[in-house]
Amino acid sequence: MTFLTKKSISRRTILRGAGAAVALPFLDAMRPAMAAAAPAVSRIAVVYVPNGIVMKDWTPTATGTAFEFPRILKPLEAYRSDVTVVSGLANFGAIKVTGGGDHAKAAGSFLSGASPKRTIGADVHSGVSFDQIAAQKLAGKTALASLQMSCEDTRMVGNCDTGFACAYTNCLSWKDEFTPMSPEVNPRSVFERMFGSMDPGLDPETRRRRELYRRSILDLTMDSAKQIQTNLGTNDKRKIDEYLTSLREIESRIQAAEKNNAAFTPSIEKPAGIPLEFVDYIKLMYDLQVIAFQADVTRITTMLVGREGSVRTYPEIGVRDPHHPLTHHRGNPDFIEKVAQINMYHAELFTYFLKRLKETKDGDGNLLDHSAILYGSALSEGNSHNHRDLPLILAGHAGGRKGGQHVKVEPNTPVTNLFRTMLDTTGNHVEAFSDSTGALSI
Amino acid sequence: MRSNKYVAMSILVVASATGAERETLAFVQKTCMECHNAKDMQGGISLAGVQHTKTFTQDRVIWQKVYDMLDSGLMPPGDAKVQPPAAEIDGIKNWIKAEFDRQDAAAKPFAGSVSARRLNRVEYDNTVRDLLGVDIHASENFPPDSAAFGFDNISDALKVSPILLERYLDAAQNVVRTAIFGPEKLKPSFTHFSAPFREHVRPTDLMKPYDLTGLSSPSSTHMVHRFPVTGTYSFKFITNGHRPNQSEPARIALWIDGKMIQELPLDATDLEGQFVEYKAKVEAGEHIVSASYINQYHGLPPSYKGPEPSKRDPVALVTVRGALTEKDRETFRKLGTSIKTDRIETRVDNRFESIDIGGPFEQSAGPSAASLRKVFVCGHAAGKHTNACARTIVSSFANKAFRRPATPAEIAKYLPLVALAKQQGDSFEEGIATALQAILVSPQFLFRVERTPVAKADSVPVSDYELASRLSYFLWSSTPDSTLLRLAASKTLSQPAVLEAQVKRMLVDPKAKALVANFGGQWLQLRNIEVSTPDVQKFPDWDEHLRRSMRTEMEMFFENIIRMDRPISDFLDANYTFVNERLARFYGMDGVTGNNFQKVDVTNTKRGGGLLAQAGILTISSYATRTSPVLRGKWVLENLLNTPPPPPPPAVPLLDESKIGVGASLREQMEEHRKNAVCASCHSRMDPIGFGLENFNGIGAWREMDGKSPVNAAGTLVGGRSFNGPKEFKALLTKDPEPFAKAVTEKMFTYAMGRGIETYDTPVLKSIHASLTKQNYRFSALITGIVKSVPFRMRSVTDKPLLASAKE
Repeated sequence: MTFLTKKSISRRTILRGAGAAVALPFLDAMRPAMAAAAPAVSRIAVVYVPNGIVMKDWTPTATGTAFEFPRILKPLEAYRSDVTVVSGLANFGAIKVTGGGDHAKAAGSFLSGASPKRTIGADVHSGVSFDQIAAQKLAGKTALASLQMSCEDTRMVGNCDTGFACAYTNCLSWKDEFTPMSPEVNPRSVFERMFGSMDPGLDPETRRRRELYRRSILDLTMDSAKQIQTNLGTNDKRKIDEYLTSLREIESRIQAAEKNNAAFTPSIEKPAGIPLEFVDYIKLMYDLQVIAFQADVTRITTMLVGREGSVRTYPEIGVRDPHHPLTHHRGNPDFIEKVAQINMYHAELFTYFLKRLKETKDGDGNLLDHSAILYGSALSEGNSHNHRDLPLILAGHAGGRKGGQHVKVEPNTPVTNLFRTMLDTTGNHVEAFSDSTGALSI
Repeated sequence: MRSNKYVAMSILVVASATGAERETLAFVQKTCMECHNAKDMQGGISLAGVQHTKTFTQDRVIWQKVYDMLDSGLMPPGDAKVQPPAAEIDGIKNWIKAEFDRQDAAAKPFAGSVSARRLNRVEYDNTVRDLLGVDIHASENFPPDSAAFGFDNISDALKVSPILLERYLDAAQNVVRTAIFGPEKLKPSFTHFSAPFREHVRPTDLMKPYDLTGLSSPSSTHMVHRFPVTGTYSFKFITNGHRPNQSEPARIALWIDGKMIQELPLDATDLEGQFVEYKAKVEAGEHIVSASYINQYHGLPPSYKGPEPSKRDPVALVTVRGALTEKDRETFRKLGTSIKTDRIETRVDNRFESIDIGGPFEQSAGPSAASLRKVFVCGHAAGKHTNACARTIVSSFANKAFRRPATPAEIAKYLPLVALAKQQGDSFEEGIATALQAILVSPQFLFRVERTPVAKADSVPVSDYELASRLSYFLWSSTPDSTLLRLAASKTLSQPAVLEAQVKRMLVDPKAKALVANFGGQWLQLRNIEVSTPDVQKFPDWDEHLRRSMRTEMEMFFENIIRMDRPISDFLDANYTFVNERLARFYGMDGVTGNNFQKVDVTNTKRGGGLLAQAGILTISSYATRTSPVLRGKWVLENLLNTPPPPPPPAVPLLDESKIGVGASLREQMEEHRKNAVCASCHSRMDPIGFGLENFNGIGAWREMDGKSPVNAAGTLVGGRSFNGPKEFKALLTKDPEPFAKAVTEKMFTYAMGRGIETYDTPVLKSIHASLTKQNYRFSALITGIVKSVPFRMRSVTDKPLLASAKE
């Protein structure tokens, strides 16, 4: 049995045992020698805003490089050379589904191009999302294959959108067609996922033992789960299978972490929980993504600024009405203005993310140089639940891509073509993906 | 569609079509095929296959839909070409119903099956509490449980992910170490809570009785805080506002969970930036912390004509802070101002700026005696454990954790962990801790697997141990206690008399609160009150104390129905409810003082009683800034009648805004919705219910006016019955107790079984419903009916794939 062997003390343990946590810069010298010669790694991030956008204040009139930044996009003007505005893409995965439930359809199909199945039961079905395609390719290279986050409380019980289960409105990433990936809402939990929950104040010897015991528990559990599988019915076996798969992933994560041995101490203290004010909350969530990339804990993140159908109110910008009903403005200029205010607010907060990425050194440049960041929504006009002409921005220069353009695509171009571009530029090329007809050259 | 088993069991109609059947088929051809044919498939339904009578058995699900649509009056739609007379429709309905009854009577009871059921978050916390005596909400950072059919304990919806498994590992470590070594030593941290500003209007007549605790006043402030461990915490209240010069000192009070902890006097006229602090011992867990001014209109200067006027010397507090010095008096004399002592500061707008909670300081160290007793069952003291103790302790724990006797092979697996710790130089207790952690992440603990060997029969009784688990997780959301395990061991639990007696016992046990929190919390969406965010500008009366009070009312109401075995019709309409002073004032009731809840009679009040008069329910079915008749209508249809409205059609046409002035009342705007026949098909069901409740604003307070327009709470339900106001509406709702009884039966069954309702459950549900009716709808009859049913006591074997027809 493997748990009887002793393992040597890891560098990380020594560093942590050296006293109070010190914010260490990510020194290149700490990388294994082989990795130093490798090209800078690329990151993928998706930031999703719900309920659509007031398109007349979003879409620039000119295309090409000399375009103006309309009201909602104005905060991004300072990052002109880092962003590409893409207009005209359509989400056919949602368009193809008849009947209501457009919010669930939008979010439930967005990153996969697949059509979600209408059900409020556990038999949800959509498609693997493009970020998980990349995650599969990067398996084992980072401690976490990917990270899913959300800034809205997902605790509401009850049917989420006319016959569609909450999984569709609350999750962006799908591991496979049956498995939506539930996002983290609590920044403390995100932090613990990235850096572990072991008490940093423990002395090295105690840490070593605790880690040894945990590994032994895992080994033992793996054994006993395999045994319990005999004489089980098919459905029960399936459940235990899921359990076993999760167990194996944890083991390989621990191995990957020990191998990579980042010796990185984050520059922020572990968050206590969800900050009271929305602006603090979302900035903290952006900070955590930056740190995750910086420490190479993961290279793929998706985040919902709000779940589809979000009813959050924004009293801090003078919008006291819930978001979703406002977007069904029926032409009322007051309501439209309020929605535009929310859209602007979200865009402004997004620039905080860009700022942090840009000011964080990474290899021979900064994090933004090596990332492909998607910002936008799978709905354009919220009032009519329009799945065409989606409001989308691609930021970052992964793959050497240049920004500074407004591109209007050919009519009926599927949004999955944009995802192909993101996969290609980050070194995760695939021959085909969902209903994509090829990558966009932008 | 899901009727393979069903067909095998029902008696097929052998003879050729009878007259009634032919009429039904003809009716379908004439009335329905226009839209519901194979090509158009309106609403996703095609009745094209209806050629012969076999379809009534095979397509039970579709025919149930046909029946429901005809019964509710939604089909044929108002704009259809063919509109058969009501008598014809009734005849068709009766025939279909008779067909169903005939099928159900002939069907053999079938139990259905539930696959390995993972403990959900609440069940995990409760189980760990009962196993180890540790109640620290360890599941707090588990990913949320997926819900299906409205509940988070549905077997097939509960999945395992690597994140969850990691959290299980951490939680197991946390709870086991807390049980054996005591709670983790935490660094003190601070939580700052800014109090929202609320308008504080002083009453004109201060002699009129007012809330002496100050808790209902806008001058108070409340926050909910989770205290991580039992220990000493500091509380600092920063004040703001003013008290008139010459007043007696302000009496500030610290409250925790509605109980006063300490009075903290503050002697000042200008309260801005002043503060009071106090350190108190608090138990771990979530508590509501309140700051209020006690007797805030007492002790004011005599000119305010308030109760118990101040006896202080008029020169006592003239300046903004503290008494006047001789120098100050000189200055005032020079400026020619006469010292009118009680006019220098005259405002009474004392309030709070913020609450700061710090800690834990001096936290309780060491394990609790109760936890140690639960773990170290070998009877030896620390340091005196023998070699056999490990085996004794581990097997005892495993037996309880696995909810059945652990096999020697299973136990043998955990003992090496105890040895490993010893080999590493750690204590015996560390070894035990490691073994127990392993047990708490094992699949035998995390999943309720039923492995009764299956014979050729379709349904077999589950084992007594499995039945004990089903019972305890149904009624307590927790693991079986020693009584249940003992009865299981003696194989007597499944006897009907024993089962009934256990149900009775379990329903009056305090652990039955879980039924309210988890079944009630989800069936009635009571849990949503925790995340409601009413806009405080629109509803300045809203605060955490009110939220907590609303929640307590709903919980006590439900608990009372269980404890006193009330009829379930009380949910719809009751002549009593439970209020504290805060809620009583909110509801406009007199005579209730203090923070303790008491039962009050509501017979002669405008609000009435029952769920639809409870502010919590009315709040969760509203938006942050206003009521929504549609949301409330949908809530009633979904939760009380289990007849959720169908999804909207694909192309919902935009309202023509020009038809109504933008300043129209909400009611008038909703009327537009219903002028369009397509919209009306659903809204004629939802809106009237909401209209009936329009006298309750977005946080459930009674109102006669909605902005500038008087409230119009009249409406007409589908089928033509009219009402005016909530009491008349409820009278219509309660006239026929059957639909609600049917709905509650279905919801409770789903919750108890942990799976959705299948077609073969129909006869079972019918008979549970019938026994409920026969016993005057008493709550315990529902529970007992479910527990004694075939699906609850038995299981069938099937390898058919996961999950089900979602019942729409």
